[in-house]
Amino acid sequence: MERAGFGAPLSRRWGALVTPLLVVVLTGCGAGTGVPSAGPVGLGPASSSPEKSTAAGPVPNAREGRQAKSTRVRFVPEKLTLQGGASAPVKPATTVGGELQVPTDVSHVGWWDGSASAGDPFGSTVIAGHLDSATGGIGFFAKLLRIDVGTKVTLEGSDHRMTYRVVAVQTVAKEALASDSRAFDQTGAHRLVLITCTGTYRPDRGGYDRNLVVIARPIGLAH
Amino acid sequence: MPSRHVARWSLVGLLVSAALTFGTLIAGPSYAADSAEIFVVQGLPGKVLDVSVDGDSVAKGVKTAEVAGPFKVAAGSRKVTFTSDGEVILERTFSVKANSSWDVVVHLPAQSSGKPLVTVFKNDLSAVPKGKASLTVAHVAAVPPADILVNGKVLFANIANGESLNLVVPVATYKVAIVPTGETEPVILGPVDLTVQGSSLNRIYAVGDPDKKTMTVAVHVIKLTTKGSGKPSKVNTGTGGQAVGQEPPLYVNLLR
Repeated sequence: MERAGFGAPLSRRWGALVTPLLVVVLTGCGAGTGVPSAGPVGLGPASSSPEKSTAAGPVPNAREGRQAKSTRVRFVPEKLTLQGGASAPVKPATTVGGELQVPTDVSHVGWWDGSASAGDPFGSTVIAGHLDSATGGIGFFAKLLRIDVGTKVTLEGSDHRMTYRVVAVQTVAKEALASDSRAFDQTGAHRLVLITCTGTYRPDRGGYDRNLVVIARPIGLAH
Repeated sequence: MPSRHVARWSLVGLLVSAALTFGTLIAGPSYAADSAEIFVVQGLPGKVLDVSVDGDSVAKGVKTAEVAGPFKVAAGSRKVTFTSDGEVILERTFSVKANSSWDVVVHLPAQSSGKPLVTVFKNDLSAVPKGKASLTVAHVAAVPPADILVNGKVLFANIANGESLNLVVPVATYKVAIVPTGETEPVILGPVDLTVQGSSLNRIYAVGDPDKKTMTVAVHVIKLTTKGSGKPSKVNTGTGGQAVGQEPPLYVNLLR
């Protein structure tokens, strides 16, 4: 039964258009080198071996796989805009010795390069920025101290954009940021997590004693 | 929707075992100048195929849902020939660029009464973050356009035969099911438990014909490089003290 599908009734099943070619292939009578632009196979030293196929006439092209139209847009954020229009460039930020290295320019914010891209179906897109710095003064993310639930935050990059809505604002002891919050979690539904500092300023202990964590959920898909 | 009989398939574990079988065969990509690598994915139910490229035999006895390769080929136009018991089943040319990776898939068309096809997919070998996987689902089965549910949610929508869709996902086990576009039933395949392999491209092919109860999946795993740094334990973003006195309102923590 299986063979019937590919054996004798082949030419009937496959239609008149390809019948001549298949007949030639199956009877093996073609002596020509009718395969256009089929060079040496390049399989190691045997690459100069002569054409073994006996097919005559052009061989049809394979179909090229296409991307489904519903393919999601995903992008590395390059700009963050808060509802109201204030915006900051977003730069990649790496973790060194356990500490996320945010841009020293306090008007910039940093996207943790191990976190989700905007538009991914799962995981946090983590962006952190200065509240203040000794050299740069008040930072862009000082604005997070007054952000309200419901505020829209838009990320842009590579000519794409994705908008989120703030669903929670919380503070966490700095040493508990990784262990006591899901800020860096890369599982679960996609979200945007914005991080800066807050709490009591203790310069002898390296700065503020708490982190402010803003969690936003996507409004629709990236486009 | 014609009144086709569609069985519910329970293939829990199948993907995992397939991934284990084929994933281990494959090392990371390495190319000589002007060459490409190809893999052959056998998506014809009930067939055992021999494969040759430009007339040279590269694989013999490739069963349904098996992946053969990688085979190094010269960049340019190549010809692949599939034979079964010495009879040519299908022969197609395709073009590959240097330093690239391709899956050459022989499979059924959307209408099971049609003739088999060869579709060539380029493998995206972009690096992924640590702990994540690149997941591509391709539709090469005898079914109309379909949605693919992941953990009950449509993550791959309206994929037609010959199309694929890619996502980057955390390493985990997902429940994957295929249903007709816009419908929840009949379930064409699954739900199956799919454990994606981290730092890898996981290519999942839906193959077969539900009318003949030959639906299954072919799994092709290619190791990728990783990018991005590890999870921070500390974010220190206040070193000046100028913002002292601007603490957030007290209600903030009530929202936790």
